[in-house]
Amino acid sequence: MKLLRGFLWLLGFQLLGHAVVELLSLPVSHAMAGLLLLLAWLLAKRRLNESVATASQALIPLLAMLIMPGVVGVFFVIEEFAGHWTAIMVALGVGTFLSVLTTLWLMRRFMPREVVSADERERRL
Amino acid sequence: MSELHASLLDTPILAIALTLAAYLGGIHLFERMGRPSWCPAVLIGAVLTAASLWLLRYEYVDYQHNVSWITLLLGPATVALAVPLYQQRQHIFALWKPILCCVPLAAVLAALYAVLIAWLLGAPPDVLASLAPKSVTAPLAMGIREQIGGSLSLMLGGLLITGVLTTIFVSLLARLLKITDKRILGFALGVNGHAIGIVRAFELGPTAGAFASLGMSLTGVFTALFLPLVWRLFGL
Repeated sequence: MKLLRGFLWLLGFQLLGHAVVELLSLPVSHAMAGLLLLLAWLLAKRRLNESVATASQALIPLLAMLIMPGVVGVFFVIEEFAGHWTAIMVALGVGTFLSVLTTLWLMRRFMPREVVSADERERRL
Repeated sequence: MSELHASLLDTPILAIALTLAAYLGGIHLFERMGRPSWCPAVLIGAVLTAASLWLLRYEYVDYQHNVSWITLLLGPATVALAVPLYQQRQHIFALWKPILCCVPLAAVLAALYAVLIAWLLGAPPDVLASLAPKSVTAPLAMGIREQIGGSLSLMLGGLLITGVLTTIFVSLLARLLKITDKRILGFALGVNGHAIGIVRAFELGPTAGAFASLGMSLTGVFTALFLPLVWRLFGL
């Protein structure tokens, strides 16, 4: 029953997100608003409801399966985007290379030095 | 016989069974291939699904309609992502300064580089919109697409390619720039390569994994908030 109760909580927050987005005509998806509202609620309460934890542990591993039907569609749009595939591939390849480079540089610049690596510490204990 | 074929294609049960079977088959093959990071399980599952649709003469539009009985779960599953984010609050509070400096900039640049390059190469607006959320985890990216438009399938394909390329480039650049800090490597994997980057990060160790999930969640949430706004401002 914990699972069902947690699932109802998640649906409740999604509906709440739905209502907030529509009432304020915000440019975010309903589920995204639900995520933020649930996060705010957890931070305010400072305690993770056990049934919400159970439902999220059950649903999160399913995410990859839930997006798969959308991925399948890529094989059916190859013709629709004919002529743009070079642009798409160059943008993804060069764009990802540059953004990985920037992230590494930024993090190295701003991250405080670690005294001992956390993994090392765990191994020593 | 053809009546049976038509009625089977008409029921959501077949579409759902097909999806589950292809996904489980994808995971099985992925394990058998030794968990290659260049070929995620979901890609193998998608190829298996596409092949079965073709064999069954199943129109993709009909399949998509029938399978929506189960993909509806994507909504509550997205809301559920608040839980791991909440559980990482200690990391966020302890390192709020580097996070505040890096995440917004890195997330904006991840979208900007790709959109700019595609635009320079003459790609139309719907292609640009499909590429913009390329570093965002799929459920959040699907929410962004509801706002800015673009092709769902092209976007998800771009997401997969970005994830795979990120794992390759992070290993390459870490060696070139001599970066060994697991926190930085994990973070870069999560910020750029979403869920696929996280899988690679956990291979580097638990610290890299935790920072990758943190990087992915923050980038996803931040991009989901700023991208639709920017898109609306520029009237795209």
